[in-house]
Amino acid sequence: MKIFIDPPNSLVLFDLVERFGHEPLSAMAAIQERVDNLEVDMPPMNVTLDDVVKGLKYAGIEVPSGIRGRMALWGPMIEAADAAIIMDDCPYSFGCVGCERSNLMVKYLIHRRGIPVLHVSYPATDEEAVAFVAQAKEWMEGLK
Amino acid sequence: MSDERETRLFMISPRSMLTPDQLVRMVHAFGEEALVKETCYGCLVEAPREEALRILAKVRETYPNEVFSKIRAYRCSDPVRCRAQHGTRPGFAQLEEEWALLAKIQYGLEQVDKGATYVKKPEQKKLDVNAFKKICEVQ
Repeated sequence: MKIFIDPPNSLVLFDLVERFGHEPLSAMAAIQERVDNLEVDMPPMNVTLDDVVKGLKYAGIEVPSGIRGRMALWGPMIEAADAAIIMDDCPYSFGCVGCERSNLMVKYLIHRRGIPVLHVSYPATDEEAVAFVAQAKEWMEGLK
Repeated sequence: MSDERETRLFMISPRSMLTPDQLVRMVHAFGEEALVKETCYGCLVEAPREEALRILAKVRETYPNEVFSKIRAYRCSDPVRCRAQHGTRPGFAQLEEEWALLAKIQYGLEQVDKGATYVKKPEQKKLDVNAFKKICEVQ
């Protein structure tokens, strides 16, 4: 199954999803597509006019451009996902207008799609990590 | 094009005794024709997708819970990204944060292999008003 991971560039989530036999949908894959396929050799190379148009589907013209740019990458992946795993309270996942609103938007879109979602919190101790790994494993095995 | 190449990032957990040098030597010893670049956290491997997945499977076989991997959007030594070529896209902050977390995840994976299961934590109840009043009262 295709599982969308949030934060979309998380190493831990990407590794665990792949380890337990599913296909992670990540920001890296979306950016790789643009890096490899675009005939652009000068920055900015990850946002094109097409991306901006795609982003308009998720966020209006009055919304900060950072959200639109991110949603152009992540929105199609959320639509393609069969399930999603969300890690809450990541210490590196914060921000103000662009970053945080995009994070909220991603969570909203995932819930609106109605696909199976696993919410986990960022493990702060070894015991929490055991619970996190066990929970993720059991959930992903149940998806098969 | 993106199906053809895959650049993978292999990161060693800080709880592991494995070094990036040992990891790179091991990947070279597999005899695959992949491009391998040693880094401070592990290594980067660039190869066609099938070959990269073969390497990942072999690494997981030897170090199942110590080496973590994800794909990387940019090629090895990409001029836009690489510090050696004055790349303009810094961004190791998250990797650094996740590197610290890998020690806990490694422990979690080991315990799960030993049979640990998920036990739901009891939900925290809201504090009773009277109890809260007692806490607030000056003795």
